[in-house]
Amino acid sequence: MLTPETVKSYIKESLACDHVEVVGDGQHFEAVIVSPEFRDKNRVQQHQIVYRALGDRMREEIHALSMRTLTPEQWAEQ
Amino acid sequence: MDTQEVIRKQVTDNPVVLYMKGTPDAPMCGFSAAAVQILEACGADNVATVNVLADNDIRQGIKEFSQWPTIPQLYVNGEFIGGADIMREMYQSGELHKLFQK
Repeated sequence: MLTPETVKSYIKESLACDHVEVVGDGQHFEAVIVSPEFRDKNRVQQHQIVYRALGDRMREEIHALSMRTLTPEQWAEQ
Repeated sequence: MDTQEVIRKQVTDNPVVLYMKGTPDAPMCGFSAAAVQILEACGADNVATVNVLADNDIRQGIKEFSQWPTIPQLYVNGEFIGGADIMREMYQSGELHKLFQK
């Protein structure tokens, strides 16, 4: 079964992230992702960056991924 | 008409379109159910819904159309707004209500 740790490693290996948190039960995952790549992008574009990074894994392995995407600046304000 | 054209026509002929799994009365996925509730809470009327489970060409085609791999997907005035997470964030920040103000 897919673990949150594995999903986290998938994200980190294909996207430059300052911070990634993933929780989930093997079917549904929730991620908080902080990346400088999100700067000057709208939310749709930010999520598309993550989906692209996950590629086929998003179709084949991960049934559902909720995410919050933040720039390093937004993360610092939290 | 190919699937991409069908979708383009759906999102331009209708001001608000939600692609979802199931129907508003019988959603087949928690994320689609949440999307319907959020639209109701925003007072969005005249929402056209498309049940992707009833049409596999649309189900696959919509992912290509928006470069977005998941359902639900919300379109307003032909523009892709986002999926369930983005709808929730925009609902909480009040941005989504503004899309439906006349």
